[in-house]
Amino acid sequence: MSELIGVARPRVDAPDKVSGSTRFAADGYVHGLLHARPVLATEAHARIREIDPQAALAIPGVVAVLTAADLPIASPGTDRTSEPLAREEVVFAGQPVALVIAETEAAAQDGAELVLVDYEALPAVVDVEAAMAPGAALARTVEESDDEAGDLESIHAGVDHGQADDPQEELSGNVLDRITRERGDLAAAFAASASVVEGTFRTPWVHQAYLEPQVCTAWLEPSGTLVVSASTQGSFVTRNGLARVYDLPLDRIRVIAEPIGGSFGGKLSLVEPLACGAALALKRPVRLTLTRSEDFAATNPASAQVTHLKVGARADGTFTAIEGRMIVDRGTNAGWGAEGISSSLVTGPYRWEAYEIHAYGVQTNRFTFGAYRAPGAPTAAFALESLLDELASALGLDPIEMRLRNAVVEGDPGMSGNPLPTMGAVEVLERIREHPLWAQRDALPVDEAVGMAAGHWPGGTEPAAAVCRVDSDGSMTVVTSAADMSGVNSGFAVIAAAAFGLSPDKVRVVTADTSFGPYSGASGGSKVTYTVGAAVLRAAEAAREKVLNAASQELEIAPDDLEVVDGVVRAVGSPDRSISVEEIAKKALRFGGRYEPIEGHGGSAQTSGAPSVAAHLSHVRVDRETGEVTLLRHVIAQDVGRALNPALVEGQMRGGAVQGMGWALFEELTHDEDGRLQTGSFLDYAIPTAERVPEIETLIVEVPAPDGPFGAKGIGEAPVVGAPAAIANAVAAAIGTRLYELPLTAPRVWKALRS
Amino acid sequence: MIPAATRYARAQSLDQALELLGEPDAKAIAGGQSLIPVMKLRIARPSVVVDISRLELHGIEEREGTLHIGPLTTWAELAAASLSPGLEAIPECAHGIGDVQVRNLGTIGGSVVHADPASDMPAVLLALGARLQVRSSDGERETSLEDVLVGPFTTALGTQELVTDIIVPVPQAGSGSAYVSVEHPASGFALAGAAALVEPDRERIAVTGVGATPFVVPDGGLGATEIFGDRFASDEYRRELAGVVVERARASARARSAG
Repeated sequence: MSELIGVARPRVDAPDKVSGSTRFAADGYVHGLLHARPVLATEAHARIREIDPQAALAIPGVVAVLTAADLPIASPGTDRTSEPLAREEVVFAGQPVALVIAETEAAAQDGAELVLVDYEALPAVVDVEAAMAPGAALARTVEESDDEAGDLESIHAGVDHGQADDPQEELSGNVLDRITRERGDLAAAFAASASVVEGTFRTPWVHQAYLEPQVCTAWLEPSGTLVVSASTQGSFVTRNGLARVYDLPLDRIRVIAEPIGGSFGGKLSLVEPLACGAALALKRPVRLTLTRSEDFAATNPASAQVTHLKVGARADGTFTAIEGRMIVDRGTNAGWGAEGISSSLVTGPYRWEAYEIHAYGVQTNRFTFGAYRAPGAPTAAFALESLLDELASALGLDPIEMRLRNAVVEGDPGMSGNPLPTMGAVEVLERIREHPLWAQRDALPVDEAVGMAAGHWPGGTEPAAAVCRVDSDGSMTVVTSAADMSGVNSGFAVIAAAAFGLSPDKVRVVTADTSFGPYSGASGGSKVTYTVGAAVLRAAEAAREKVLNAASQELEIAPDDLEVVDGVVRAVGSPDRSISVEEIAKKALRFGGRYEPIEGHGGSAQTSGAPSVAAHLSHVRVDRETGEVTLLRHVIAQDVGRALNPALVEGQMRGGAVQGMGWALFEELTHDEDGRLQTGSFLDYAIPTAERVPEIETLIVEVPAPDGPFGAKGIGEAPVVGAPAAIANAVAAAIGTRLYELPLTAPRVWKALRS
Repeated sequence: MIPAATRYARAQSLDQALELLGEPDAKAIAGGQSLIPVMKLRIARPSVVVDISRLELHGIEEREGTLHIGPLTTWAELAAASLSPGLEAIPECAHGIGDVQVRNLGTIGGSVVHADPASDMPAVLLALGARLQVRSSDGERETSLEDVLVGPFTTALGTQELVTDIIVPVPQAGSGSAYVSVEHPASGFALAGAAALVEPDRERIAVTGVGATPFVVPDGGLGATEIFGDRFASDEYRRELAGVVVERARASARARSAG
């Protein structure tokens, strides 16, 4: 029933969310619940001399004030799971240093205000470039090993980590990671270039700004099992981290991935260790819901990055060489940083004769780096795609034609040296080239312009499993443990319906917890539809086989001569010889029944990635007197493999484009020179609100992924990657000068117009 | 966002409201669009919030050449009001404040006495020469808005005084007014906003967002006036913006006066 694929349908979770009946992690009723409120560090770097809880404990209703020593941590480390509360050393302003637990949230907050923390200030490392110099003050003086590194990076992208860098370059201990990626004769390739351009591009820390702040409720069952109700992208990864830190057997932890009110990469085991530690220490249920200000201060936004790039091309526009030095501010994340992904994507979906990229992950006293939709990719694309426009301009070439000349195709060598799988770089560039907006770009009013850019995402992989179960009413339940982000459950419903032969409205999808669900990794890296979706497909096929075997006996027709269409098993060519799935299920699911339950289990272990590419057109107007940039129109063309549900695919394309608008024009977390956050609320931190977002036109391009379910691939991340660069290119075209720092705020544009 | 504990009392009459406001650290609440956010951040910790939203201090009425605006009138009502020529800046400004939800609840009186240095409507009221009727247990007095706004979040009103009427002279025939602002992209408050009233024989311009309070631009212009800068927008940029919005507001008001 592949005609079910490609039809726009409402999301399966929409009715409950629209009507307000969805229960999020902060909504569940738990008897005897205690509330936790965090005490956040006011210093960016300090030693904790003493924490005095006495005044807080005197507040009526306050049950306990917990510090690091009170949590039953068996395996200390410096990652946020292993160190949910700062031990002796505070490493960023906003780091949780204590939890006040009380019978009401208000009492806990009253108590949290009265906890006295005595700090001995240490030098705050806030300038990521200065932090690299030999002899620079260290952002963390106590060094500890970390074992989460590979785990968390692999959630987000299937990239190799390059080679270790040249050890000759002397750098400070703040430099936690050095990567070199090189191929070809760089000097010769630059020498063969007709034009070479370069620039240093800066991007700030950017918050995921999900609607629902981080929240977790944890309690102990009488049996001793720790139950964790969380707004998380990954139930198994959370369970494994908690088991490691609190030394619990895996079967004594049950993590429930509740419906998520937005996450975009940021919800992986930040508040769970806090709520669980408190529940384990007090043996009472504990809920921690961050306020918006706390969520800004204490979580894990996207890294600031400094990217120096130099690129060259021949006179005909053939790319020659690209050289880069990328500095990624990891904040306090010793485990991993965006430098691995960013350096692997900075060459773009293009062929180069030679490249040499050096990337550095540097610790500072700012936040803890975390994933945000395509980590490291928008920053890399901003640098590359800005310079490609400069290159086209220097060579007198059309920017799209020049990119098309160099766009990768299947079989071109990738960064790892292996041939690239199919991806629609050429196709999406051709789609925007054909768009009327591109043709009109020279006929626009003064102060208006159109810019373009492309960006790609490699797509992650991870083995996954799923179960499909048919009930006695003929409906199907799909069970996975993948957190439902970006509409993946709606995709599973269509995959299962099409593979089995049911109407999608007869399929519901449930998210299982870790105690009984089939395995699934964290939802992220644009991998869920591609991997878990493939498992759902196989599970539905396995269930279909069961129903065909039963129907074969009922109808006395060989299974190969039967088909399942819209819930009815019928003979191929003689549709009147049929029996409904419901009837078979009723015969199976009863005392003395003769057929196996109509259930199937399926698994997948994808070995090839399915990269997605998107190209953007951005139409802007710049107010030359005030510097304000107004977005007038945005066009995005994306290779989505196969659009299982075009309505949801377009939603992802729009959402990615909008978050790209945030990178381009609005979003910026800043600190003062002492490392204290200056933009810790929505009064200061601007996001692209509805009134500032223009019409977005979505152009779906389908280059099927060979191993994807019905050709689908993961599409969540690619649409954000090129959007900031397209807007920056449009602004540069409108004002005739280029800005090398995001976001392009009105004061910055105004200043650029005057210099 | 967990406010400190507070008590709540609904005033049934103006006199009762004034009496309730006699308690130390009492705060009047109408639409709550300014007070509730600062309470949630615990910047404000009133002992009791005195709900005055049911008092009869509501409505827009022109009589005998004067516009009377009840302080409990919402932005949504002002945005939809059809007023005499010359008062165009009032609905224009109200329409640009906050979002639909804020405009449905936020009141003009609450905004004026909150005295945010970047609030929009006070600039319009200053340009239009508005006066406030103020009531206390000692009786009533009338004062100019200019005298009430004394500093950031600070007014010359007593803790037991309530604004009962906002009085705006209707400009003479052939006048026009306008409000233009450049907003902070996050807060929506004015980085610089200007209201202009152009009458046949004179004009008056007030600005907001650039100083300790919204203020009337002196005859010589802003050249000698100190302009506030901050991390997002420097004083230099704000001065430039102020000049731009003043010119745009003036041009728009002129066009309306001619029309």
